[in-house]
Amino acid sequence: MRMLAIIRKELKEYMLKPGSISWGLIFPLVFTLSFIVRFGEVDHLAPGLVSISALFATTSFVASSLIFERRLKTFERLLLAPIRYGEIILAKILVGALFGTMVSLITLLIVANFLRYGIDRPVLTLLIIIIANFTFSAFGVYLSLAVRNPINVMSYLNLLRLPMIFTGGAIAPLSLYPKWFITAGLVTPLTYSVECLRFSILNYYDIIPFAYSVLLLSIMGMLFFVLSVRTLKKLY
Amino acid sequence: MEGDERVIRAVNLTKRYGELVAVDHVSFEVKKGEIFGFLGPNGAGKTTTVRMLSTLTRIDEGEAHVNGYNVMTERLKVKESIGVVQDVSNLYDELTVEENLNFLAELYGAPKASVDSLIKDFNLPRKQKFGRLSSGYKRRTAIVAALIHDPPVLFMDEPTVALDVHSAKLVREMILSLNKEGRTIFLTTHNMGEAEKLPHRIAIINRGRIVAVGKRSEIRGLLGSGIRVRFKVEPISNKLLRRLEEYSPSFDEDMIAVEVQDVDSFLEEFYSLREELGFRVLHMETQLPSIEDVFLELTEESEEPQTCAVSCGGCPI
Repeated sequence: MRMLAIIRKELKEYMLKPGSISWGLIFPLVFTLSFIVRFGEVDHLAPGLVSISALFATTSFVASSLIFERRLKTFERLLLAPIRYGEIILAKILVGALFGTMVSLITLLIVANFLRYGIDRPVLTLLIIIIANFTFSAFGVYLSLAVRNPINVMSYLNLLRLPMIFTGGAIAPLSLYPKWFITAGLVTPLTYSVECLRFSILNYYDIIPFAYSVLLLSIMGMLFFVLSVRTLKKLY
Repeated sequence: MEGDERVIRAVNLTKRYGELVAVDHVSFEVKKGEIFGFLGPNGAGKTTTVRMLSTLTRIDEGEAHVNGYNVMTERLKVKESIGVVQDVSNLYDELTVEENLNFLAELYGAPKASVDSLIKDFNLPRKQKFGRLSSGYKRRTAIVAALIHDPPVLFMDEPTVALDVHSAKLVREMILSLNKEGRTIFLTTHNMGEAEKLPHRIAIINRGRIVAVGKRSEIRGLLGSGIRVRFKVEPISNKLLRRLEEYSPSFDEDMIAVEVQDVDSFLEEFYSLREELGFRVLHMETQLPSIEDVFLELTEESEEPQTCAVSCGGCPI
């Protein structure tokens, strides 16, 4: 299984890279802990905190890997092997999603200790975390390929994901914001992840019903996958 | 396979980066079992050509076949049948030599036994992390990595660049021994020492166009100046110099140097002059033009830098 070989190699090579650790592990955990320390109970923040962990962990991991590989030309090792570009992209997305799922589960375990009513649907929550991580990972892979000079990938990534913390309704529900702000939120995947987890953890939604959220989150994942393959084909 | 001896065939191969034509209608053939040297100054289009032939860069115009497979339409087949050593030693720093090779063996579907035998044959430090190897060992490992699936054709892009003298010598020996095993090697270089020793045939590319192709002797013969003959005689008389006037003699250190097209007829004339004038010949030598002489002659106008139309921070011309 060539995809499994790529996944194993990615974990060995990039799990401990500074980019993966600082933005992918330390930042989401510190961010989560700071809210717990400030508010004690974080029921209504839980979906946002888990989603932010997933977003930062996946995108930092795949960006770190692709930045190194594009700069050091190790990415071309993969391209020279007799594997389809789709398989390479899928392996990259899956390994990012795996790393992100681990980090978001750590966040969930921490947050679960500070929930008044516990997690409403644990299995569904786990499923949503996996889907969200796939979508965020695909988003990270797409951006890491779309930015022409790999040195700039992290900057572009932060330019997009930091505002997403607000436009995705992770800290405060989108229904509290003006309409134009909600529109901005509707084009970002974080919004749908927060809404899905709000339903699975807290049993309510803010502005988007669960079925739509999970559907749009999945569609966005597939869309970023297709865009990544197309971008890779354009690049090479 | 096409059933002939041509394992690489490029016809009007062209690559453009915006306004810049990096490779401009390049055509050549490489025969089975030969080392084909691809020479050119920096920015001439060597790496782009290798990238196109190895499927890493899309071909804008023209076509290419490697091992009988069309590079544009049978990319996976081409990849299965070639090994590529790029101009950097691009393996994974945190993985050991063995892990790197095992990973590539999995990608190519090669047996793990081939990894063991390659590590032994090339005396590589199995358990050492790749990132901690010297540049010489890195390059050797990168070459071995390209052999993992036993490809009949190897593309080597500046394989000795940035290596110390000993490591470069080892790599050159590796290239010769790989060729003796029957592999066809497409070697790009701007190292003239390498070009004098390794390739059976050479193509010189300049500004994206091939300006010469042929065997080493044919390439040397391209320089119109002919063969340089240097000799030391005693005594040197004005009469001798006058008689040699048609060869435009010049003094080179304490010797007289002339350039001739036909050495045999010159020597005949020279020895009849010796009989007539009675001088003693203390030393005589002939010098063929070197590949470097031809290379400099054919590429001398390439001093102005090529400007890249895209701002990617490193276009792979």
